[in-house]
Amino acid sequence: MYASGQVARVEVERAVTAPASLRVLVIDDDESVGAAIKVFLARRRCRTELASGAYAGIQALGLSDFDIVLVDLFMTGMSGLDAIAYIRQRSAVPIIAMSGFRLRSSLEPIDYLGTAMQRGASSCIRKPFSSRQLIEAIDLSLGSGVHSGVSLR
Amino acid sequence: MSRSSGDTMETERSETTSPRADRAGAANEVGAAIIHQLNGPLTALLLYLEDLCQNGASFPPAERDGVSLQEVAENALREAESVCRLVQRLGDTFEAPLREQTAFAQGRDIIRWWSRVGNANDQTQPAPETAVRRRSLSTREQEVLVLVRDGYSNKEGAARLQISPRTYEGHRAALMRKFGAKNLADLLRLAARDQDTAESHVSALAGRRPAAPPERCGKVRCRI
Repeated sequence: MYASGQVARVEVERAVTAPASLRVLVIDDDESVGAAIKVFLARRRCRTELASGAYAGIQALGLSDFDIVLVDLFMTGMSGLDAIAYIRQRSAVPIIAMSGFRLRSSLEPIDYLGTAMQRGASSCIRKPFSSRQLIEAIDLSLGSGVHSGVSLR
Repeated sequence: MSRSSGDTMETERSETTSPRADRAGAANEVGAAIIHQLNGPLTALLLYLEDLCQNGASFPPAERDGVSLQEVAENALREAESVCRLVQRLGDTFEAPLREQTAFAQGRDIIRWWSRVGNANDQTQPAPETAVRRRSLSTREQEVLVLVRDGYSNKEGAARLQISPRTYEGHRAALMRKFGAKNLADLLRLAARDQDTAESHVSALAGRRPAAPPERCGKVRCRI
């Protein structure tokens, strides 16, 4: 019925359309999100590493290079905002802030997006997000003009 | 305890938020926490279903019964998308305007509360630590606790129980002492925690259920 060989073949076909592979770090204490992003990015020949907390994420950044980092804002332990500030002080890697809470609204006095951007995030994405929104956020963070060679589209 | 401690509580009470506001805030936090907990799995579901749909070429053609897996996957994706929209709308409803200072601290409190309750994949139960403390309250004290929690003033509460305000204040002071609470907000927080552990202990026997609102964080200093 749903032969694994067929899936693998499609995966290769899709991967060929992706011009470059990115090294992506996902920092989120919700493992289901990281796992799904990993599958999504694997289709685009990106190598994804998962960190289940801010400290683990910072540690991973110290061990290897990444082209882009996705950080959840609200995590137990060290918050994503603190992690963003910490990473930004030491690296220029593009950072996408993810949050399940409302990021911005005219009615909302708290601007999670603004705060995350202030701390050095390159773009923000609100959960739940679709693959299209994820691609847009990644493209935006990489700077679609300058880095068009590594675009996921 | 003496009358003076009752007076102190009144002063503290006017300085902090009212119990009614506490309850409204707690209900709001529970809503926000539920939404927060749904966001992760929903994101994953959306990405997986999109992946299934986009790789539909590998689905076998429609079976003899006319049902195509491609179509089923697309329908599932559509439903997931509509749940996501619903959850986003609910998230907008639940998030009340907060002062920026407490907003992130509150976000963390919500998560801490959920980590106590446990998530969908987590089969472990939080240990019933302090539920026993509840039993040491007299019937009157338990009644007063409920009234305090529901936002009754000393005068209103005393009238409700048909006792003198002095006696009512005495019960309230005893509650403060038994819980080791510094002020009213502290008492409500500790009482809610007891409720939380007591109910999660019950739900451990009767199946899973989120128990009580998260800790109030109005007075928590934001570390960020």
